[in-house]
Amino acid sequence: MAEIPVTQQEIDAVYPKVAETMADALGCDVDDIKPDVSLIEGLDAESIDFLDMVFRLERAFKIKIPRGKIVENARGDLPEAEFEQGGIVTEKGLAQLREYLSEVAPDRFRTPMKVADIPRLFTPTTFCKLVVRAQKEAAAAA
Amino acid sequence: MTTPAISAAAAMPAAKMRASDHFAAYSFVDRIVEFERGSRARGVFAIPAAIDAFPAAFVAEAVGQLAAWVAMDAIEFRGRPVAALATETQFRRDVRPGQTLQLDVGILSCDDEAVAYNGRASVGGSEVITLIDCLGPMLPVTDFDSPDALRERLQLLRAEGAAPGRFRGVASLPVNVHEHERGVAIRATLDVPADAPFFADHFPRRPVFPATLLLDAQMKLAATLVGETQGTQREAPRLLRATHVKMRSFIAPSQRLELAAELSPAGTDVVRAMLSAKTDGRLVASARVDLAARADDEELV
Repeated sequence: MAEIPVTQQEIDAVYPKVAETMADALGCDVDDIKPDVSLIEGLDAESIDFLDMVFRLERAFKIKIPRGKIVENARGDLPEAEFEQGGIVTEKGLAQLREYLSEVAPDRFRTPMKVADIPRLFTPTTFCKLVVRAQKEAAAAA
Repeated sequence: MTTPAISAAAAMPAAKMRASDHFAAYSFVDRIVEFERGSRARGVFAIPAAIDAFPAAFVAEAVGQLAAWVAMDAIEFRGRPVAALATETQFRRDVRPGQTLQLDVGILSCDDEAVAYNGRASVGGSEVITLIDCLGPMLPVTDFDSPDALRERLQLLRAEGAAPGRFRGVASLPVNVHEHERGVAIRATLDVPADAPFFADHFPRRPVFPATLLLDAQMKLAATLVGETQGTQREAPRLLRATHVKMRSFIAPSQRLELAAELSPAGTDVVRAMLSAKTDGRLVASARVDLAARADDEELV
């Protein structure tokens, strides 16, 4: 499935509510949420927090975000076997990941990268893009 | 993003697990009287008259267990919710041994990843607790219990029901306060027992210290602090609500937990306690609890 493009303007429009929702889920001050901070490395988010954030974002924006499929979405049209081998993201996979997570600084894409470490790249902006895409999908389906 | 969200616990020696405690020592649904697959359920639990008390956290557990039955059935017992997030739990009234809880849950969403639900418990038609926007991460059921045993149990609960009076209470947990600023903050250790009947029920294949037992211990610390702000009073401070309840890790038998409760004002009539539990310096559970700032007569159902 082709990736739905998201503009910076669209990200900016949802960012305040996303930041507020994330701060509530993580129990931190909204000022601690920066658009490009790593949720895991910068805000100590754990897997349970990701589940919490997705759940809260769904309610806040009245959208449906497929849980557990963020990494799958990042893979895009690339078959799994081409995206990763033995739990390590391939060169092709990394290129796809860099494109999907264009908001993440290039130096954060370490090689070799484990598939399990992909969530370490996620930032509040990543979730803004998820929200915008979910809104667009819902609008298209309506 | 991938799950499981919860880290693993150490295994408990099987010899210490008594089969008779399964579906008894920490099970709070006697019968399911209405069941819409993957959608909603109503059930009952008779609080045994012989036990000393049935804290509010246990009532929340009862509601969560009913939701777990609906969730497990919805995904053909591939997974079960373990640990939880609870956005808001409203405590309306205390309950007493001898009373019967009417339980009601509505499933918001359910898949192999998580179950989201709302629920409530009532006694004699009066609501005693309301759970809003709860989320249970689903983990492989075979890690915790026998899928066949669970299926059979659900059939029993939906038919004639289980014999009431199975729950015999939970022995007091060893909570030792080591720092205490009256009316402000408490730090304490809780040594999770190595062996307890509830581990055979929660869960037979992998014992996990129940989140609601932890929450009960934490809420007692918060009530102690609030009581100290009220001077002399006869009744324990009234619980109003818990928010941001989040279990981050399994808690295994024999683990030592560092509990902390700290008060902060939350309004004219409300005091908020920030609760946390850590093990080896790592946060494993957190919650916020609001209690009535002024002592008033406890309204019992």
